[in-house]
Amino acid sequence: MTALVGRGMSRRNLFAHAARLAAGVTVFAAAPACAFNPLPALPTRDMPPAEARIAWLRLRPDGRVQLLLPRQEMGQGISVGLRQIVAEELAEYLNGELERVEVVLPDTAAIAPVKSTVGSDSMKDFAAPVARAAALLREHLARGGSATELHDTGQPVTLRSLRAGGRHVGQGHPTERIADIVTGAPSLYAGDIRLPGMLFGLVLPADAELPALSPGLRPVELSDGRRGLLSDHAGPLHAASFDRSAAQRAMPDLDIDAALQRGRLEHRLRSDTVEAGAGWTLDRRYDIPFAAHAQIEPRAAVAQWHSRDAAVQLEVWTGTQDAFFVRETLARQFGLSADRVLVHACRIGGGFGARTIVRQELEAALLAQAAGRPVKVQWSRAAEFADGFHRPPSSHRIRARVSPDGRITDWWHGFCSGHVIFTSAAMPRWMQAVTSFIKDPGVARGALPPYAAGRMRVEFSDIRLPVDTGPWRGLGAGPNGYAIESAIDELAQLAGQDPLRFRLANLDPQHGRLKACLEAVRDLSGWNTTAPSGTGRGIACGIYKETSYAAVVAEVQVAGDGAPRVTHLWCAQDSGLVINPDQVRAQIEGNLLWGLGMVLTECLPIEGGRVAAYTFADYPIPTMDAMPAIDIALIEPPGTLPSGAGETAMVAVAAIANAIAATTGGRVLTLPYQPHSAA
Amino acid sequence: MQITVNGRPAEIPDERGGDPLLWVLRETLGLTGTKFGCGQGLCGACMVHLDGAAVRSCQISAGEAAGHSITTIEGLAGETLHPVQQAWIAESVPQCGYCQAGQIMSAAALLREIPRPDDAAIDAAMAGNLCRCGTYQRIRKAIHRAAGQPS
Repeated sequence: MTALVGRGMSRRNLFAHAARLAAGVTVFAAAPACAFNPLPALPTRDMPPAEARIAWLRLRPDGRVQLLLPRQEMGQGISVGLRQIVAEELAEYLNGELERVEVVLPDTAAIAPVKSTVGSDSMKDFAAPVARAAALLREHLARGGSATELHDTGQPVTLRSLRAGGRHVGQGHPTERIADIVTGAPSLYAGDIRLPGMLFGLVLPADAELPALSPGLRPVELSDGRRGLLSDHAGPLHAASFDRSAAQRAMPDLDIDAALQRGRLEHRLRSDTVEAGAGWTLDRRYDIPFAAHAQIEPRAAVAQWHSRDAAVQLEVWTGTQDAFFVRETLARQFGLSADRVLVHACRIGGGFGARTIVRQELEAALLAQAAGRPVKVQWSRAAEFADGFHRPPSSHRIRARVSPDGRITDWWHGFCSGHVIFTSAAMPRWMQAVTSFIKDPGVARGALPPYAAGRMRVEFSDIRLPVDTGPWRGLGAGPNGYAIESAIDELAQLAGQDPLRFRLANLDPQHGRLKACLEAVRDLSGWNTTAPSGTGRGIACGIYKETSYAAVVAEVQVAGDGAPRVTHLWCAQDSGLVINPDQVRAQIEGNLLWGLGMVLTECLPIEGGRVAAYTFADYPIPTMDAMPAIDIALIEPPGTLPSGAGETAMVAVAAIANAIAATTGGRVLTLPYQPHSAA
Repeated sequence: MQITVNGRPAEIPDERGGDPLLWVLRETLGLTGTKFGCGQGLCGACMVHLDGAAVRSCQISAGEAAGHSITTIEGLAGETLHPVQQAWIAESVPQCGYCQAGQIMSAAALLREIPRPDDAAIDAAMAGNLCRCGTYQRIRKAIHRAAGQPS
């Protein structure tokens, strides 16, 4: 575990840390607003030691067990899944009742630091440690021990929960707090927190003109040099509007062909020599725009300062994917030791990678410091578009050649993208410069196709853009998967082969699990039967982070005006052992919807180098009436452990694009799809 | 001014009359079940009932609600949960849950108006309630369930 404190950090150490970034760990820095943080906190953390892990469980006097959740809950269902694992291990001590396990979203004092809740890693990384902690507690209790004497010395222990067919594991329980959600119970989300004497505040963007001040709005100077507004009431604050700078910023054109003309691309993932030779079977370009997270909860935080001699000086409530990163950032900002900052992690109203930076928490703390009272910050929807970070645009060219018998002999994929992990949203400029020679692992995600090719070259450049970019659900896997699976599909067509059979024939033989997904979705969708008249079908598949597999078939109907309607989606996913099938299905349903949005509606408008979206009208996301019928098959190979379920089925984006191509005869080369503009 | 909220009279200071009802509910009255998603009348997270009809509380002022009867998510249940709330649990609808109060209020208003809606009626009534997590098909199933009909 490394929380860097800047002074004295040598360049060599910095390069060593930067090199760790290439291993695929998520790295962010504190908000660049403050002049006094020479080195950012890096929220890359190892699993805490064994003694800290058994402390995730508390045995209560009434015999119930409390699970202090070592993850953040954003609707992905990790709370209920880990609860099921604990209940399975401790069944005989709980009368077999799931209700006797209570899940608590902990604060930063309650558990040792854990890594961010990102990457669909929660079940993959935490199922076994949580199971072990619960199993140790079980066997300790069986020997008559008291909970306070429990130690983990590495002793062997039998795990019951990490296999299919348990009493709790394998059951489809609904999300934690469902009863509170449907009844509007208080304090579920950060914006619901109310404290005595609390004010409402916002921090003005640096380039904003101070608005005309209505009664009840007062300006305030913040200790980091910025300006804020405070109000006794929420309404007047939300009504305050201010003009931002309209100064144009140069937006580099993300154009893969122009980038290639300028010289070789910076980073190589595969380096075989792939030459034009006698010509390409396929030579296509794909262009993908910016996209917003568009989570329904605009970010919010409440901060309260306590007296200088209090044990905790700064207390914050927030919905964040990393409460410890928030603590580290605030501690550094205000010159406090970490133990004097307490962060309460609330349920998040939609994460999707957006809640990985520290913004509203710092704003609330600065405003509360200036006000001498607790302050709630609630970002507006317009601020989410203007001041958040977004999925970067990317531009791809794929050139490939197939042999007469339909085998891919050459595959070249070059692309350029804005940053994902090494993002200006979170890194000061000098750190971006240092990391510029390292492949951005987020941009690279999903760029290696699951197919065998005689010769393969995959290379990319990442480019700094004036609009902040960063991790969006799936990271590069959505855009890269879309380009790859569109190209493969067209290659199949050019080779005169069925797109499913072509994929199966060209799959790298090591990917038996992906083959099983393709075969399962073939059967689920009736791929080999004729599509209803007036519709077309498309297929796509992919592997997420080498451990989670999905194949999707889409059926699309195109109206007279060319507007496509997705009528059906079928998905077969293998994300290993399924702790909670209902939650895994829910994640797939979400991914299918995100794929639909990517193809049909989502494009973040940019003007003059700035985001030009202010409302959902400027950035439409799919609505109820766009929802197709959905069928899902979960494949659970015996003996596997859980892998990530939250981002794999995003390959639906290509299935839908391929279905549109099958229906209209024209390939979808830019997103979102515009009728009559396809090639 | 006085607004009847969940069956009880609530006294609202006159100075709050111009504020959107959403903020008066959440911060003046402490009823935080109604959510802020955009404040621009587009996401539906702030849906409440005004005299039984579904309205976006970010789009009406507290003053406009004066003299009327407002029901929020906190007031939907009687002695038992509303059939829509029960159906939401039975169908395991929510993921993050943030949009769901608004979804439920829209669905409850729909079922009062059309007790056995078909899919087209559901689409029309619910298209103004956004969900980013992707729970739409579960919402549809839950509405059919609450209406006592097969989905």
